[in-house]
Amino acid sequence: MRYHSIYKVPHGKLLKISLMYDQPSRTIHDVRITGDFFAYPEEAVERIEQGLERAIFERDHLKTKIEAIIRTQKIQFIGVDAEGLTQAILNCKP
Amino acid sequence: MSEQWRLVLTGENTAFVNMAVDRAILVAHSEGKVPPTVRFYSWVPPAISIGYFQSLLEEIDIEACKKYGVDYVRRITGGGAVFHEKELTYSLVIAESHPLIPKNILNSYGRICNALIRGLGRLGINGTYAPINDIVVDGKKISGNAQTRKMNTVLQHGTILLDVDVDTMFSLLKVPNEKIKDKMITDVKQRVTSINHVLGTPIGFDQVASAMKQGFEEEFHVSLVEGSLTGEEKKLARKFEKECFSTTAWNHRR
Repeated sequence: MRYHSIYKVPHGKLLKISLMYDQPSRTIHDVRITGDFFAYPEEAVERIEQGLERAIFERDHLKTKIEAIIRTQKIQFIGVDAEGLTQAILNCKP
Repeated sequence: MSEQWRLVLTGENTAFVNMAVDRAILVAHSEGKVPPTVRFYSWVPPAISIGYFQSLLEEIDIEACKKYGVDYVRRITGGGAVFHEKELTYSLVIAESHPLIPKNILNSYGRICNALIRGLGRLGINGTYAPINDIVVDGKKISGNAQTRKMNTVLQHGTILLDVDVDTMFSLLKVPNEKIKDKMITDVKQRVTSINHVLGTPIGFDQVASAMKQGFEEEFHVSLVEGSLTGEEKKLARKFEKECFSTTAWNHRR
């Protein structure tokens, strides 16, 4: 099933997440990150979406994964961060 | 003698042309073919631009846009949805390595916004930078800005509101919750202002453009010399307009 969340990052921008959640395996799929934030380079956000494919729906796991992608892709976010993204994803909880 | 930058006045254009021209200047400057460039422009017909990461269908009421003859376009910059009608839009294209541009992205927003604040000052308006990307007057937003960095080049563009029609804006934008739409309109009316509102008298685009030109010159200690787009930039802009900004594939990609 597809789930959505809208999350205002504290002192930041509005994040909207849409994802598929597979209950038996507790994994997320086809994550879409939208909103009025800034990211440099912009294309790197698609790499986060791809990197979260089949990620386990669990705070520490998600945050570690997002932080690793931000580090390896050298992404600079403005108005959002790994914590905000993690929280917005968790807010999709059915 | 101070450093010379190019000033390009492209007047009124469609949303697709406007976004294509900014991108064409970005590419031309990254290849060293044109100097740092400030551009002033406006939008005819009126249009909504959305940020690179926004979902078109979640932000824009397409049917309402068609009904009112309003275009819509996705920007290459992040940030939020903007209704472009009565405003001066600027863009600045400059190398990331230019000594006048802070390496830190947020600092560079502030530095470029300072040019606009000086321009507002020329009009007798006291604006202040409100991070991340706004300029406010008495706490109310008068300018929104968005920056991208590609090919070692900074493109920052933004709006300076000459007038604002919040009711029309809300008829074109989707709101998450229809029940609180009236409250949202009231809130935005209290949080947004315009040059005409602050001055209490209408003022023309050219007068604002002239003030902003001086603002850039003072902030960066440069001379803005009026010039035009090169043949190559125009050709590139037509290509971007046709292959990117006017296409469903681009505008509906999120």
